[in-house]
Amino acid sequence: MASVIRPDPLAADGRWWRVAGRLYMAIGYLFLVLPIATMIVFSFQKGQFASIPGQGWTLQWYGKLFTDGTLLEALRNSLIVSPLAATGGCILGFLAAYALHRFRFRGQGAFSVLLVLPVLIPPLILGVAFLGLLSRIGLQGQLLSVILTHVVIVTAPAMAVIQLRLGQMPASLEEAAWDLGATDLQTLYKVVLPFTLPGIAGGWLLAFTFSFDEFIIAWFVSGFEQTLPVAVYAYIVGSVDPSLNAVGSIVFGLSVLSLIGVELLLFPILLSRYRSATS
Amino acid sequence: MNAISDIAPPQVDLELRGIAKSFGDFVALERVDLAIERGEFVAIMGPSGCGKTTLLRIVAGLESMSSGQLLLRGQDISALPVHKRSTRLVWQNFALFPHLNVRQNIAFGLTLRRHDKAKVKAKVDEIADLVQLGQFLDRRIGQLSGGQKQRVAIARALVTEPEILLLDEPLSALDAHLRIRMQSEMKRLQQRLGISFLYVTHNQSEAFSMADRVVVMNRGRIEQYGPPEEIYTQPKTHFVAEFVGSNNIFDGKVVDVEGGLIKVQCADAVISAAAGERPPGKGSTVSLVVQADKIGSKPAGTVAENSLNAVLSGREFTGSQVIYHLETAAGVEVKMVAQEPFSQTERTAINMAMQLYWSPGDTVVLRPGIVPGVENIPGGRSYVALGA
Repeated sequence: MASVIRPDPLAADGRWWRVAGRLYMAIGYLFLVLPIATMIVFSFQKGQFASIPGQGWTLQWYGKLFTDGTLLEALRNSLIVSPLAATGGCILGFLAAYALHRFRFRGQGAFSVLLVLPVLIPPLILGVAFLGLLSRIGLQGQLLSVILTHVVIVTAPAMAVIQLRLGQMPASLEEAAWDLGATDLQTLYKVVLPFTLPGIAGGWLLAFTFSFDEFIIAWFVSGFEQTLPVAVYAYIVGSVDPSLNAVGSIVFGLSVLSLIGVELLLFPILLSRYRSATS
Repeated sequence: MNAISDIAPPQVDLELRGIAKSFGDFVALERVDLAIERGEFVAIMGPSGCGKTTLLRIVAGLESMSSGQLLLRGQDISALPVHKRSTRLVWQNFALFPHLNVRQNIAFGLTLRRHDKAKVKAKVDEIADLVQLGQFLDRRIGQLSGGQKQRVAIARALVTEPEILLLDEPLSALDAHLRIRMQSEMKRLQQRLGISFLYVTHNQSEAFSMADRVVVMNRGRIEQYGPPEEIYTQPKTHFVAEFVGSNNIFDGKVVDVEGGLIKVQCADAVISAAAGERPPGKGSTVSLVVQADKIGSKPAGTVAENSLNAVLSGREFTGSQVIYHLETAAGVEVKMVAQEPFSQTERTAINMAMQLYWSPGDTVVLRPGIVPGVENIPGGRSYVALGA
């Protein structure tokens, strides 16, 4: 009988284990969250060095960030690079995903491997290779070079998310559009794109976070147009300064925002099947 | 185009000429010829994998054919891409656009080309009233029930004024109760609009209740094409006799031909059948088909023209009729359908011996015949009805 209530194996004599399990989980979360919480707290603390008890609250490190400008400028660079790279990656990712979804062609397997290759190659090697190539064609040390290299590495994750959504589209949906008289192009923008849009948005956010976090390749190719991770690294090498805590807090805030975006857009897709067909 | 339209008679809506399709080594369709008259409701029926859906998709242009010709109202559409054909398909899973609401779904085909918004709105309103969707036009697709979705799918196709509507098992996703209601609704709609329907189904009662003519397909070939009554009472091939659920089939050898009757030695008894115009010769192998509702039963010992002793093995009460499953001494299964429990006084019990009888005139004779194209199918011995 399916309706028999299964007894909880831990209910009677397992209470102690349950408490232990919860404790273990709490420690795990603490380990994850504590450094971030500490960073945020000390970004508002007066002392030059982190110490307990604190020495009072201040916004001076955020102020210093704004007057000094290098980190802020790097943040601005990152906010130019990442959205553009994510957009480029999504356009390429969608086209590739659609080609793989719609057509059967020779070398299809090789093509899909080629698409994920940039993710599999260690970033260090990619960075060196990109630097060599870009300097040869006179493109090194610009924001454009960072954007181009980031497009290469974010296309695969963006495509993966878009493929997931495309895979949920029944073949009959496109056929129905053709049958009603739509050309291939009309079908693409009236049916396929609207259906895939949640996937594209999710893929965009994922690509954005990939690019926003990316350090190694950016460090090789960015030159003086540093992105945020590169600038933070340069800052640490120079001195230890609570301004870093302020930058970290800002970046953390941005990441949380984009993560919330990913969850709102991506999770509904992952958890739901195509529901318009048979109920 | 004009030269071709002289060949096909104008009252024919759709003509299929020698349509063949193979996927690699697998032959899905083997030279199918079919003509559908204007305003006709034609159902294609057959087991899964018989090629009926492939045939429908070829007509729609969603599948290419290996050879053959398609004529729609006299025009050769064989080479037209799907979006240029004036055929419309209704899918089993409805294939509605989930990002559009009901009105936008129905209007989809109209808004693809340059259009007058007011005209589109008027047309959508009109068709929505016809399929009783008037108050649902602003709903999202996800908010509709199965029956409503099916109506949207049909309205979306009909609003573009197709020359023929193709339906691929459109009711099989609905529950039984709704299916029966939609059947009569669909038939009414088709008669009112006067558009030809080509309807694919594996469901016999669906095909019989709606269609003017039924095509029975098996292994990529058409076995029989005719009105439902004819398919039911005069199956032309062994397959059709078997596929139409309520037939009994007895295999045997002809032992005698006399007085308009042929006598066939079957496993359990000698069965007589009307000989027809071209009776098979003595000694030839034939199959005899008797509908389950033509068989009656009487107390054991009575003598009748065709009688068969059998033992009751099961009884199915379906409301208006009772189906009796019996087995002869030789192990042949026999079905008998009675309009009411045939003996109120005598309780029918499992393993009860019964004597079955029926008239020789109700016995259809099938003799093994070679149907064109069958030779290539392994074990493809087929039976053709006599005098057909």
